[in-house]
Amino acid sequence: MAEITFFFIALCVCAFALLSVLSRDVFHCAVWLALTLLSVAGVYFYLDAEFLGVVQVLVYVGGIITLFVFAIKLTAKIGDKTIVQVNEQTLAAVIVTAVLFYLLFKVIAVHPWVSGSAAVVSLKDIGNSLLTGYALPFEFISLILLAAMVGAIVIGKVKKCFHWIILLCWARFYSVSGSLAFSRAAM
Amino acid sequence: MLGAILFCIGIFGVLTRRNVIGVLISIELILNAANINLVAFNRYLGTPDGLGQIFAIFVIAIAAIASVVGLVLIIAIYRNGKSVFLDHFNLMKW
Repeated sequence: MAEITFFFIALCVCAFALLSVLSRDVFHCAVWLALTLLSVAGVYFYLDAEFLGVVQVLVYVGGIITLFVFAIKLTAKIGDKTIVQVNEQTLAAVIVTAVLFYLLFKVIAVHPWVSGSAAVVSLKDIGNSLLTGYALPFEFISLILLAAMVGAIVIGKVKKCFHWIILLCWARFYSVSGSLAFSRAAM
Repeated sequence: MLGAILFCIGIFGVLTRRNVIGVLISIELILNAANINLVAFNRYLGTPDGLGQIFAIFVIAIAAIASVVGLVLIIAIYRNGKSVFLDHFNLMKW
């Protein structure tokens, strides 16, 4: 039963990914990408990673797809169906992809897989690791997020954006001092 | 295996798309393939502290950042040049 479920989810992932790559209308591409990401969330649920599945649905399907749809609608010319969407190197791309897939398949088939300890990770373990052992990369990710927000505002040229940038930086340093104090208390 | 298939589809999309948004969509597919591999190896071969899932969370955050910055750049370029096709971007060519 579990095998059948996995094959069904994998088939969904591959079919939706192919459709999102090959579809001609860019808006359709975004919709197929949303279905692909939902199927990948299904793979996470199958692999007992419930938290990651929920994060996938929230961040990707909730946030990134919305951004894609906004960008497609804001750059209105590409919604036109008469425009050719692929470039002239399709044949070369097919050859390169086939060779790459053959090599990957060869490696997977040849490699002797050791079956280690099957480990189901609980949400509590993830939270503990994130705030103790991996606190530094966690904070670094938040710094990159801040840089991306400031960069997006500056590139998008919002008028009088300076106050917002100051506010974002202030909120970020406030939160980092709080979470560092928390992780020190947890250690 | 599934990760390899998804990765190859993403590479194919990056190589063939003429449109910047299509290339970004393909890059999202590639990052998802990496995430599937991380979670699967963590589930069947991994350690109980969940290193694979933590790295998958980091990869999701980086993917979100990358797509946000990429889309803002696309909109800025579209405002200047009125085009979103890769072969029209010869701004940085000599």
